[in-house]
Amino acid sequence: MALKNFKKATATVKDLDLTPFMCLMVVLVPILLLQAEFAQIAIIDINLPEGRGSQTKQTVKQRPKEEENKLLLTAIITDSVLTLGAKGGFLPSLFYQEFHKYITKDDGKELTVKYDPKNPEPPKHPVTGRPLEIYERYDIYLYSCDQDYEEINKCLYTKYGEMLTDVDGVPVQKVEPGDTVYALSNPRRMSVVRDPSEFQLQPMSVYDELKNRLMKVKERFKDADDAENIIIAAENEVLYDKIVQIMDAARQAEFPNISIAKLRG
Amino acid sequence: MAKKRGRAPKKNRREGLQITSMMDMFTILVVFLLKQFAAEGAILTNADNLVLPNSVSKKKPKEVNLQIAVTHDMVLVDNLPVVPTEDIRNIPHDNPDPSNPKLEERLRSHYAQEEEMVRLGALNEVEGKVIVQVDKNMDFDVLYKIMNTCGKVGYNNMNFAVMERES
Repeated sequence: MALKNFKKATATVKDLDLTPFMCLMVVLVPILLLQAEFAQIAIIDINLPEGRGSQTKQTVKQRPKEEENKLLLTAIITDSVLTLGAKGGFLPSLFYQEFHKYITKDDGKELTVKYDPKNPEPPKHPVTGRPLEIYERYDIYLYSCDQDYEEINKCLYTKYGEMLTDVDGVPVQKVEPGDTVYALSNPRRMSVVRDPSEFQLQPMSVYDELKNRLMKVKERFKDADDAENIIIAAENEVLYDKIVQIMDAARQAEFPNISIAKLRG
Repeated sequence: MAKKRGRAPKKNRREGLQITSMMDMFTILVVFLLKQFAAEGAILTNADNLVLPNSVSKKKPKEVNLQIAVTHDMVLVDNLPVVPTEDIRNIPHDNPDPSNPKLEERLRSHYAQEEEMVRLGALNEVEGKVIVQVDKNMDFDVLYKIMNTCGKVGYNNMNFAVMERES
């Protein structure tokens, strides 16, 4: 009889009492979610400025004397031109115009304005008319243009923001159904055009064209001794943001060893 | 009769809330969030009024190194202000070996500390690693001069901190 009673009592306790654990979870999850950082910081590896600051053995070791089979690829950026050069010579310069995208702090409006280097005034807020701060500048776009800085070159982009080129790596402005095009990713993605309206005609970004050219250089000079090196040479006034964007283009085109140099004015 | 006996206890049982699946979810969520913390930590601390440029780089900072932050007003070494950025900018352009004495001195003392640690056996070798956080609206001139100062002292292994571009 006693045993029967005992059995009855234990049979009703089926589950663990999870309430305290639940309470813990309910507290922990919001705390961790609140603390989690969603803006992630990453890093870029670079080498020291060429020809300077190489007093230590480490850097001297990296630069051997013989430079026979060397490419010495250099990307040169000034306030209006981006040029790609190597030991053999220079590719045609890419002239660019700057467009700045601002996102206003108070009402979150997006505003893209053309930047004139001769008259570097910040734009006015569309509603209140106050000059916008430099911290509200969200992005800098460099659009390729002609030599006289009048007309902006355009080319087709996919919906993922990749530039379209033909077989030879020349950007295309117009496609017909049945054409073979290549989207600028690494490696290039071939596709046959079904519907030309899939692609949008947009101003050509200088960074995309740089990436395109770098990929061509990479293909042709695979066996150079320094096929992974690139030197970025910049003028004094060039903004750091542009240099980082060029580094991105270089890394995507598989030039991971980036050095930085200065153009003497 | 047998059926009746089988059903009767079921009716009497109080049905509790089925929280098993929710518990599973919560456990996974907590483990995931905790892991994210363990992997990331706050190795880099973001200085005020310092906007890092966006980049597609996926490389994560692994260990704690010397940090240099360059804002519009001050240059900070390990979050301590050292020298106004204006002083760095004012170094003449034609100086073939531009460096700022104050910054150089501070970096040298950090370098000496690292060497001391190697001597004591706490580190294997002097790595000369430094993470540079530069505001994205900074001009190249300042960056170059700071890089040169670092190189002069022996910090050759440089990393730029950037924000990961979402997409």
